[in-house]
Amino acid sequence: MSSRIVVSLRIAASPEVVFDAFVDDIAVWWRPNGLFAFTPRSPGVMAFEDGRLVERLPNGKVFEVGVVSVWERGARLVFGWRQAAFTPDMNTEVEVRFEAVGEGTRVTVEHRGWDSVPAPHVARHGFPNAAFLARHGEWWRNLLAGLAARANSVHLGAGDEGLS
Amino acid sequence: MSNPAGLISAVTYRDPKAALAWLEAAFGFELVFLIEGEDASVAHAEMSHGASRVMIGGEWSPAHASPASIGGKTTQTIHIYIEGDVDAHCQTAAAAGAEIVEPPATQFYGARTYRCRDLEGHLWTVSADVETVSVEEMERRSGLKITVAKG
Repeated sequence: MSSRIVVSLRIAASPEVVFDAFVDDIAVWWRPNGLFAFTPRSPGVMAFEDGRLVERLPNGKVFEVGVVSVWERGARLVFGWRQAAFTPDMNTEVEVRFEAVGEGTRVTVEHRGWDSVPAPHVARHGFPNAAFLARHGEWWRNLLAGLAARANSVHLGAGDEGLS
Repeated sequence: MSNPAGLISAVTYRDPKAALAWLEAAFGFELVFLIEGEDASVAHAEMSHGASRVMIGGEWSPAHASPASIGGKTTQTIHIYIEGDVDAHCQTAAAAGAEIVEPPATQFYGARTYRCRDLEGHLWTVSADVETVSVEEMERRSGLKITVAKG
């Protein structure tokens, strides 16, 4: 029970700026991936609200991706991650660490718990475990690249000009 | 994520997880991508140094072997370019267990370099430019004929 994905990226902004961009601007930097959609009606708009990560779907419904269990601004964020098709015994968890490195931040995402989702489950699309995790990890790299672009635009004072 | 045109070496270890920790301690490489399977084995790993990356993997096919499995032989070596103090870098690597094969020395072409073996015998050369040397001066110092593409 120890499959995990670890993705790390240096971002040229302080841990607080990167953390705030992660949680406050997730609707801006998120890049939906059709292979890993949370619900059949996704993509919607991502948001951290009421101690949860949610996806606001186009039909007006709100899907709870997971509950936030750790919220340490500028340091650590931990939240659950479920797809709508998961059964109650399937759970994955995402831990995000924000580490000051020089004048920037090393942000690391660790996504674990995929062993609770059995191989035949629809969420895995028939991929062997390592291939599935690699594809999912590539998506996290893509997501962190989006986060970096957002955090940098905030850091440089571009503010909402980064919205698109 | 799409990759721009470029080159990446994939380096083979018997124990890639130990290599990840060692390369961070010895050379300051940073883990940027790691996929671990059910048994916590390394399915895929990448580390970064500056704008470059290396992949770290196990002996996953009969064609892949660590130097530790083939009598210390290697068929390629990797050069690390740093912006900083080569001697201090060498001390850090040695403290992490690197075998220093050639201690730091300033080369005719204006770089200070050292060479070491890592925990499984891969050879790494570490280099920093310390002097700007003209091609004519390099030829005079070395006795070599040097051709540089006009960029």
